[in-house]
Amino acid sequence: MLSRKLIENTLTAALSTGGDFAEIFVEDRTNNGIVMIGGKVESTMSGRDYGVGIRIFKGFNSVYAYTNKSDEDTLIETAKKAAQAVEGNIIDLTINLTKSDVKNINIIQIDPSKVEKTKKVQVMKKAYDIAFNYDELITQVSINYTDYIQNIMVANSEGLWKEDTRVRSRLGISSVASKDGEMQSGFFAPGASKGYEFFENLDIDYYAKEASRIAVTMVKAKYSPSGRMPVIIDNGFGGVIFHEACGHGLEATSVAKGLSVFAGKIGQQIASPIVTAIDDGSIPNEWGSFSIDDEGTQSQRNVLIENGILKGYMIDKLNARRMNMDITGSSRRQSYRFPPTSRMSNTFIDNGSSTPEEIIANTEKGLYAKHMGGGSVNPATGEFNFAVMEGYIIENGKIKEPVRGATLIGKGMEVLNKIDMVGNNLLQSQGMCGSVSGSIPANVGQPMIRVSELTVGGREGE
Amino acid sequence: MEMKSLIDKIFQKGREKGLNDMEVYYSAGSSLTLKVFQKELETYNLSESEGLSLRGVYKGKMGYSYTEKVDETSIDQLVRDVLENAVIIDSDDEEFIFEGSKEYIKVDSFNPALSNVSEEKKIEFVKSLEEEAFKLDKRIESVEVCVYGDGYGEIIMSNTKGLFLQDKSNIAYTYIVVVAKEGEDIKTGMAYRTGNDFNKFNARDIAKEAVDEALALLGAKSVKSGDYNVIIRNSAAADLLEAFTGIFSAEAVQKNLSLLKGKLNEKIASDKFTLIDDPYMESGLASKSFDGEGVACKYKKVVDKGVLKTYFHNLKTAKKDGVETTGNASKGSYKSSLGISPSNFYVEKGERRLNEMITDINKGILITELQGLHSGLNTVSGDFSLAALGFLIENGKISRPVEQITVAGNYFEMLKNIEETGSDLKFGLPGGSYIGSPSLKIKKLSIAGE
Repeated sequence: MLSRKLIENTLTAALSTGGDFAEIFVEDRTNNGIVMIGGKVESTMSGRDYGVGIRIFKGFNSVYAYTNKSDEDTLIETAKKAAQAVEGNIIDLTINLTKSDVKNINIIQIDPSKVEKTKKVQVMKKAYDIAFNYDELITQVSINYTDYIQNIMVANSEGLWKEDTRVRSRLGISSVASKDGEMQSGFFAPGASKGYEFFENLDIDYYAKEASRIAVTMVKAKYSPSGRMPVIIDNGFGGVIFHEACGHGLEATSVAKGLSVFAGKIGQQIASPIVTAIDDGSIPNEWGSFSIDDEGTQSQRNVLIENGILKGYMIDKLNARRMNMDITGSSRRQSYRFPPTSRMSNTFIDNGSSTPEEIIANTEKGLYAKHMGGGSVNPATGEFNFAVMEGYIIENGKIKEPVRGATLIGKGMEVLNKIDMVGNNLLQSQGMCGSVSGSIPANVGQPMIRVSELTVGGREGE
Repeated sequence: MEMKSLIDKIFQKGREKGLNDMEVYYSAGSSLTLKVFQKELETYNLSESEGLSLRGVYKGKMGYSYTEKVDETSIDQLVRDVLENAVIIDSDDEEFIFEGSKEYIKVDSFNPALSNVSEEKKIEFVKSLEEEAFKLDKRIESVEVCVYGDGYGEIIMSNTKGLFLQDKSNIAYTYIVVVAKEGEDIKTGMAYRTGNDFNKFNARDIAKEAVDEALALLGAKSVKSGDYNVIIRNSAAADLLEAFTGIFSAEAVQKNLSLLKGKLNEKIASDKFTLIDDPYMESGLASKSFDGEGVACKYKKVVDKGVLKTYFHNLKTAKKDGVETTGNASKGSYKSSLGISPSNFYVEKGERRLNEMITDINKGILITELQGLHSGLNTVSGDFSLAALGFLIENGKISRPVEQITVAGNYFEMLKNIEETGSDLKFGLPGGSYIGSPSLKIKKLSIAGE
């Protein structure tokens, strides 16, 4: 994407004031988005993102600058401007770039840019028809189609020089059901690090019906009860509980500065002994997977918690310095506009030994959260919240009537210790995760789990 | 001028390929971000960026495309994408390229004084912000985030119907998140300022606001579940309004995604509730003279003493409803297709201060922060159930801090149950819109806790 000489000159300019590490990141990305509402294509947008980011380290401090231009004059000037923020003795670093191959874990079969847009619209139309015709209570269906091809190059003063291409595809299905002047919605958005073959092989029938089924079930549901009770969270997107309650607190972004409740707890029991949790960016073709991270490190499987004991964090180059620990291939960013930092990839609680039937049968009274919405966390206090998209009352070991509008709240450490059953039906689900380095694709996942007690926020008393 | 000649070349190419009306939206900007951690300038970020989008009508349908490589090599891609995108549109709604309004009211959102503040001064300021926070109380264990940033932006809108509009603005912001610790209890407090007058940023005031917030929450506990009289403090009420802003969009109404459909000129809220969209508000951070389609912006009351007066329109939705556009077309950036959003959008303030409002409450909750606003609410149904922080009110006084609760209700019902609006109108962090509210006293909301 850039010549060796240009990269070397830019890195040299970046280090001209005493920086001890410099990195250049180039991104060239084409995006495609189509929105269908009510069965008709409402809007489309395609475009090209293009930019260069230059990062300099000096000890624990960093400087970052970006620009959309990649001519020699602009890059050298940008590097020099950034370097002005660094003060120190100039280190004599010889930059010796060696271009190395990237082991591609996300094999793409069909380049989405080579597929006619009318074919993409047909996929959307199919999803629309199935979702809309699911039930007469369905009054609106929106379909979102997205694909992108992101070409990146990363090179640094340690001699690393790599290029990679990331292709991702996603189909969002949102159904609205109406009844007696009330509306409820259901949502599903499967995605993968795949090309157009993703849409060809997708079980559109299943996802479209699920989105509508949730909306129809919820519009007929009464409000959720409130109070503290056992909560069963089903597999797939239920993994958002781990993502919010614990995952963010294991990112070096908050651990390095001692701001996370999990800082300094490696080797300690932080969760119930039946909990093992993994962050793995190297699972082929998964939504949150990548061959190399945005610092050029090969992705890997990181065990975060093993049998309840904290094993590791997700660590990027800059925070690795403060923590005096190794990097874990977890450094990510939304685009060249953000300096990268440690983030999650595909993060999940691993399979346990209970069957879903056992978990439900063993719960006398509580809430069953079949599908989760999103959530958020304050890493300093560990307080999290997330929304239940589809919930049910459990009584005497049986799933009873549906309830809507429930929110689950708690504190990270507390909930990890209260997981008292873990199922054997691990499933990954796709989401977008927003944090300091922007919004990035990430999987959450888990088998069905039970938390012995959580605060459920609803609108009815107990 | 260089940009004009590039735009002309794009239009020329478009015409050759069969596009009728076309419009270019160009934006460029620069930014600086400074973060301090433990007395050191930990992060120094700067940027220079630009992007250009093209939209054009082909066989009656509007296609969009954009690029961040703003030069002649991108012309072919821009035109090709517009054509390909226009062809697959099958919506019956018409989108327009606008020839321009008769008159535009000038809005000055650029303050040259801000561009003249030296970097040293900015660094000194953000360092002092951190220092002040630590000085205020020894229970301040760390400063999680301490940031100063500023940015400059300019846009050009130019179309084949002769419209040519330009605008420029600058803004500075600062925020701090402090962590207070007492025993095992940890609480955070946040404060921010935005505006384009650097001299108005007072490090001590900002630090104190964040520190007070964190300290006040130390020792918080949950409360018993039940229905409570609730005051939602100004900034939290503004956050909630922001999350529900979409219900006022004519687009959502026309697509059957807003329960305000068919409610024009009907009472949708309490008499105390008046909602204003004022693009010309003094020191409004979303002030502008024209909207995303080049239409002159307008002042309007969206809700007047509880009665819904209008939805937000762009040219497309206005034509469909047979009304005039309200000048609320929005273009989030060159990357976004056309949307609808307010400008400076706020709940009109009432008479009394927050502490006076509290004296009327025998038993209730003051909510100071709502969390999970992107997930814990349903804009279609109006239902919300959100994690919250705040204080218990007993016998007209604040008795203790509260945590680990959720507040649940329905936004449409809540609007009808507003008993009082405070005098403390406050705006949230600006995005495309700038949204504000005073504290709102609500007759009844469900609180879940112990």
